[in-house]
Amino acid sequence: MALGSPANGAAPAQPKAGRHRESTLYQALAGAGAGDGRTLAQLREAALRAFESSELPVWRRSGFWTTSLETIDLDALQTGAGPEASGGERAAVPDVVSRTLPDRARAGRLVQNVNTVVEVELDPTLAERGVILCSLQDAFRDHLDLVSPWYSKRLTIDRHKLEAANAAFWSAGAFLYVPPGVVVEDPFEIVYAIDRPGVAQYARTLVIGAPTSEFRVHEYDLAEDFDSEPDGKRQALHAGAFELYLQDGARCRLAQVQDWGSGEVFDVSSRFVGVGRDAYCHWLPALLGGHLVRQHLELAVSEPGGDMAFRGIFFAEEHEHLDVFAVDLHETGPSGGDVHWRGAASGESRASFEGLIEIDPGAQQTHTYLQIHSMMLSPKARIDAIPSVLVSSDDVSASHGGTVGELDEAAIFYMQTRGLDRPAAVRIIVEGFFEPLVAELQDEALEEVVRKKVAGKLAAAREDIEAYATSR
Amino acid sequence: MADLEIKDLHVRTEDREILRGVDLEINRGEIHALMGPNGSGKSTLANTLLGHPAYEITEGSITFKGEDITGAEPHERAKAGLFLAFQYPVSIPGVSVANFLRMAINAKREDPIQVKEFRTQLQHAVELLDVDRAFTSRHLNDGFSGGEKKRAEILQMAMLAPDVAILDETDSGLDIDALRTVAEGVQRLHDEQGLGALIITHYQRILHYVKPEFVHILMDGRIVLEGGVELVERLEREGYDQIRQEVGAGPTGALASGDGSV
Repeated sequence: MALGSPANGAAPAQPKAGRHRESTLYQALAGAGAGDGRTLAQLREAALRAFESSELPVWRRSGFWTTSLETIDLDALQTGAGPEASGGERAAVPDVVSRTLPDRARAGRLVQNVNTVVEVELDPTLAERGVILCSLQDAFRDHLDLVSPWYSKRLTIDRHKLEAANAAFWSAGAFLYVPPGVVVEDPFEIVYAIDRPGVAQYARTLVIGAPTSEFRVHEYDLAEDFDSEPDGKRQALHAGAFELYLQDGARCRLAQVQDWGSGEVFDVSSRFVGVGRDAYCHWLPALLGGHLVRQHLELAVSEPGGDMAFRGIFFAEEHEHLDVFAVDLHETGPSGGDVHWRGAASGESRASFEGLIEIDPGAQQTHTYLQIHSMMLSPKARIDAIPSVLVSSDDVSASHGGTVGELDEAAIFYMQTRGLDRPAAVRIIVEGFFEPLVAELQDEALEEVVRKKVAGKLAAAREDIEAYATSR
Repeated sequence: MADLEIKDLHVRTEDREILRGVDLEINRGEIHALMGPNGSGKSTLANTLLGHPAYEITEGSITFKGEDITGAEPHERAKAGLFLAFQYPVSIPGVSVANFLRMAINAKREDPIQVKEFRTQLQHAVELLDVDRAFTSRHLNDGFSGGEKKRAEILQMAMLAPDVAILDETDSGLDIDALRTVAEGVQRLHDEQGLGALIITHYQRILHYVKPEFVHILMDGRIVLEGGVELVERLEREGYDQIRQEVGAGPTGALASGDGSV
């Protein structure tokens, strides 16, 4: 798939025939998306049909892993868009956003609360240079020529009910366009917030980095803690679709901080990053909480000379369920890839990380490596890490590695003899475990946000960690 | 009363008694050497003094600066002014030497140390230990050579300025240059800060560079012989076997009770 030109007339997505699929149940998108020249209205209609004809998804991996959305009461969730949202009181930026986001220089910021954009700001000097940051809805009205070749170019709309719901019902969304040669140091912040239970948020992001542009995108996915709703309603849904396309020579550092708080928030999202000719992407999602989270993350090097670093952090706690499928896809060579994830789990949480390296026929001279390190902080927590490699070219190197660890009691004693108490020692170990990746964010303000969130989770898991220590 | 008083210490791990009545007194400003063959209980004593959870004290007591610390948490002992330089220092990935030191220093203080003061102290310690300043930006013990690990131990000791430090086979596996640096570091901390030290070693080598005033010989979980630096020379001449025969023949109980002359 060429990224440099629109894919008008390309065939709709179809599973590639004859591929070896036994090693993984989860499949890479690895093909054209739904954006094949149809108008937005046509795509919405097709998605609606898929929505209506499909059941809530259940993902199974042979016998030992199931991600099921059976417990979500989708009919009870409002979309919160339209007249209800224009009532006034919902138009404010939710507290959780002001509490979480760092006070720092930024190129621009777009905040969507539930399904309404409540804030858009863009550095006026960047606007003058042609940078666009607006809701995706507005972009379809004002910048159709820029949006339509890329919208859903590599994302599908009908693999499951919630993907279809997103494509059919999204109403606000975010659109960022960085024109050719524009270099922006400060980040663009895109925020999806859920300030109340009982809602379904359909988040839709499209980011285009024109040739030789350079920029940073920080996405935040945040919800208020809604434990104490009187009617017992605690459920909310975030169904997200994110796509970023980097054209020739573009460079982007993309980071995501996701923490859905203590409510019963379901997050089912697909994210696609396409790296064009000689382009580069450093992508680091930090998945730090949600009742049930299923993320399909796909990074494709689509043209020769593309390079990427695909990093990730996760921390599951209490009864959270996290299911990450991360794909490192090489469609042409020469290309480079480097996937490195680190995750921890406390409480009775379950986390599954499946990392797939897929090298297509013809992607010669591709060199890629996948590593996943996990740390168990409680006897009842579980992390499954499943690396897999699908290679269809012969002149390539692809390998994977990883570790599964627990807290190192020798290291804790060592630090205690330096005067640090046990919780401090545990914190140092876990933060040290994540630090190589956190430091790679190369953005102090953002690094602090992630460090603080990790520290908060450790403090919350303190008793649990103590109990684990004495049980061993 | 001595700063560190160990009385009739009996220690077991799992189902084996390792220390069988150890008595020892160490003051600030004194350098002691504890020598003994492999398996005599040297490392058990070191770890027990800092409260390692794997070692159970079945009898006896440890008193530090007048406080009974027999059951204290390891970090409480450290805050009180005890330090252990490890035989096998553990690596702490993701934390730089400097950051770790800052956290450890702050754990002992009410208010966090000022950046400038910390830098000055660190510079002083770096010079003392003859390490590169870049050393302090590396992750603690992560990928360090044996010599670097031991230097890092002494660097921490210099920064944390304990009253009494236990050095558990700090000399093992060191080449002569590293050994000299480490030993001279201990000697200077003793001379400049009044550090009290218990140097635990199997060999005599380190004692050529740092001079103990008191020497104790540990065998089978008991201190069987005590004296001055002449004991080191005797050990060098005769070896542990000779001493074992000598003390083994006599009433070990009396020797082990610690009331023997120093």
